[in-house]
Amino acid sequence: MDAGLLAQYVMNGLMLGTMYALVAVGFTLFFGVLDVIKFSHGDVLTVGGFTALATFVGLGALGIKSSPFVLLIMLIVAIVVTAALGMLIARYLVLPLRTAPPLNTLLATLMLGTVLREAVRLFYPQGANPKSFPALLPTDALTLGQFNLRLDNVLMLAAGAGVIVGLQLILNRTKLGLAIRAVAQDEETARSMGINYTAIVLVTFALGSALAAFAGIMNGLYYNEINFGTGLLLGVIGFAAAIVGGLGSIYGAILGGFLFAALQIIGAVMLPFASAYKDVFAFAVVIALMAWRPTGLIREKISERV
Amino acid sequence: MTTLLETRGLTKNFGGVVALDHLDLSVASNTIVGLIGPNGSGKTTFFNVVTGIYNVDTGVVVFDGTDITRAASPTIHRTGISRTFQRSRLSLPLSIFDNIMIGNHTRLTQGIWFNLMRRRAFMREFEASYLAARRLVEVFEPRLVERMFDPVAGLAMIDRRRIEICRAMINQPKLLLLDEPSAGMTHEETTALMDDILQVRALNQHLTIVIVEHEMSIIERITDHCVVLNFGRKIAEGPYRQVATDAQVQEAYLGVT
Amino acid sequence: MRDTAHGPVAPLLPGAAALAIATVYLIALLAVETQSLIIGLLMLAIVTVLGVSRTGLWASVSRSFSEREDALGLLSIVAAFAVVAFFHDHHFVLLLVVTILLYTIAALGLTIQFGYAGVMNFAGASFFGIGAYTAAVLNTQTAVPHLLVLPIGGLVAALIGSLLLLPVLRTRGHYAAVVTIAFALLFKTFLEVNDGLGGPQGLQVPGMNILGWSLNDNMTFGGFELSFYANYFAVSMVMSIGTFVLLRRLDRSWIGLNFDALRLDETAAGCFGIDIARWKIIAFTFGNFLIGAAGALFGMVGGFVAPNNYTFADSLILVSILLLGGIGNAWGVAVATIIVVVVPEKLQTIQEYRFLLYASLVIIVLLFRPEGLLPRPVRRYFAGWRP
Repeated sequence: MDAGLLAQYVMNGLMLGTMYALVAVGFTLFFGVLDVIKFSHGDVLTVGGFTALATFVGLGALGIKSSPFVLLIMLIVAIVVTAALGMLIARYLVLPLRTAPPLNTLLATLMLGTVLREAVRLFYPQGANPKSFPALLPTDALTLGQFNLRLDNVLMLAAGAGVIVGLQLILNRTKLGLAIRAVAQDEETARSMGINYTAIVLVTFALGSALAAFAGIMNGLYYNEINFGTGLLLGVIGFAAAIVGGLGSIYGAILGGFLFAALQIIGAVMLPFASAYKDVFAFAVVIALMAWRPTGLIREKISERV
Repeated sequence: MTTLLETRGLTKNFGGVVALDHLDLSVASNTIVGLIGPNGSGKTTFFNVVTGIYNVDTGVVVFDGTDITRAASPTIHRTGISRTFQRSRLSLPLSIFDNIMIGNHTRLTQGIWFNLMRRRAFMREFEASYLAARRLVEVFEPRLVERMFDPVAGLAMIDRRRIEICRAMINQPKLLLLDEPSAGMTHEETTALMDDILQVRALNQHLTIVIVEHEMSIIERITDHCVVLNFGRKIAEGPYRQVATDAQVQEAYLGVT
Repeated sequence: MRDTAHGPVAPLLPGAAALAIATVYLIALLAVETQSLIIGLLMLAIVTVLGVSRTGLWASVSRSFSEREDALGLLSIVAAFAVVAFFHDHHFVLLLVVTILLYTIAALGLTIQFGYAGVMNFAGASFFGIGAYTAAVLNTQTAVPHLLVLPIGGLVAALIGSLLLLPVLRTRGHYAAVVTIAFALLFKTFLEVNDGLGGPQGLQVPGMNILGWSLNDNMTFGGFELSFYANYFAVSMVMSIGTFVLLRRLDRSWIGLNFDALRLDETAAGCFGIDIARWKIIAFTFGNFLIGAAGALFGMVGGFVAPNNYTFADSLILVSILLLGGIGNAWGVAVATIIVVVVPEKLQTIQEYRFLLYASLVIIVLLFRPEGLLPRPVRRYFAGWRP
């Protein structure tokens, strides 16, 4: 295969992997802190993407069009909105259901995902149709043989990597991160050490949701389009990616994200005629993964006391 | 004295923690054996390994001449082992009768055609099962008979423990494993429970019982033989009076003297 | 709590009265056309239910239904025929009734899987769709008798479901959920990209034809016009009754007990000899069979199949029916199905919003009344039996 074409595939894989990784890390954060799988996470991503789009439209109406400035505002607004959404979800849905059987939380968050998805579809003007997302990053490209190294892709990759690294720093180098990890490990002890449990839970949810907003915008910028159903697909794959690494491990989630992206790209390469089936392939892989390793490549802690 | 249950070199690790450490233990038929030791000494792990809930790392478990080391829980149950659980594991929304019938699974006709189509025959089996369950419940607490079809969730802890024992007894096992039956009960309730267990024994002379307990009065009163565990190893065995005065046992419970 | 197995059998009257009132109400709701009147009727129902649930009436109706089920079952059949007779030439309403019956069968299939055995299935609509597509293909491409297509649709659904058995058996909790969610998404995407099955447009389904009797023809008896949907009503009614009876026997047997045991505590169930895998397989497969068979008939009734009717959101609607009606309670499921199907059809304004509406409703239910409308009663193997 031509080196340029290969490089193109690699770039696709890296972009896809970063997006999956961002979503997967969110799942891992929620699970680590509350032992809960927030099935609405993917749809929070959709909300983030559409919020950014709405901001863009709004700013355009106000006459503000200067590119990097607009993107920055979109980012900030989307992150603030999704972080707030994440906190509301934690405060009014997930925390109250802690004492109920875990099945109820699972069902409630699944339903919440539907509410978010449908809200976007119904209340965003023409929400049912894919909307074009503005290209706000410089599109200059460096041509190396068959391969077009686009500046915007590089910027997004760098930003994505930056966010992941930033998150690692927060978790490992700050007091907040320490508190989050303490709560994730042992709620009782963390509380007795004086950590405000509820506050940490809310912050963790805000953090994870903000990551989703970032992924949503990245998704929009890369494909120049967003769609109310995107979040659901990304959510399922993101969750599977988190499982691959073993729920609760940030590194595992990142690894899982890239692994999935690699699988999809390889699938697309090997079956070029079946590119429409790439999503089918991804879901089949998820199912096969669950058949092979029901709790991920790394064992989840056994929590059941007999 | 035939040996009913025997383990040789039984070892079980969890991550880095050694729960069972090359344990050699044997239980003689028709005896009541007490399994004691400080918290974390491996008593419940032992039960879980024997009943197939956990896999063994190394070692052998032989029951009534059959090697059950690698067998799954349902298979092990069919060889004649029943148990209760430390944390009472009754199905709370289900009735007393339903819970006991879960223990009777191997004796009930499970065919789909029978259950769906042969309703008259099913009725007969149902009524016979009701009588069997009722006989058993009457031994422990006759007042529960009128509540046979009420959910277990509404019962007091001691009654739930009794029903758990009924569930384990209904299909007449050869070996009964009781895991801390007196947990969460008052002194009076504990005494009543002991009487129940002895009555059970009187009903069925061929029943062998292994009982894990922290309440030493029970152990002293009803067991023929004791085995003391510490850190997954057997450190003493013999009649209760003897192990109670053993220096190693005292050290295990009380710390270094 | 007194064990009523030792007391008198619950009276028939509360249940029968509730059934009569509900039937009249349903006829009124279906007949009325003006949106404001419909909203008024719905408000009335909500207020009445909320009010009654605070009194002992609710409990006595509940007991009546669980102990006098045979009689009330017969009365329900009569009620259904009454509704059909009232709307005998009204195509739209009769189609609605048929839809209710077929969705109820699918929801009952899901009940066996999820309500009884605790096996999660978030792809219920997909299996419904498999049945429907099977009918489409068989009715157009083959000469297989249409009545036979129904169980074949069920078999195909069960067979495709068996591909998921390994992951379903090996997973629990959220991991198990992902398996069927992924399948639901996979199925819809597959149908959309696969032109052999009509792609996004879907396929036409020839109407049902039993030994020369074409169900798609209206019938006239003297001056009495009978919409052709009444024919389908007859077939669906037979299927529904069969399913109800089957489910009731299943639940009130040792098999039902096995399902409960493995749903409530798998580990303990294994320790008493219950073969977990076997019973999960039976629940999952049989449930899919019912869903597929109902889907096959649905395809024939509707006349066409398309991927857009069998999405993940539709699967969640089926799950919502169970959660709203009361998991594991067949009557609750029937009532919830009626609500879920009728309300968006009558209130055209909310038709588009139905996924949003029902998802929100379920969240509220989960937060404040997780047992649903009609909680599942304790098992009584034989209604009215006394030792």
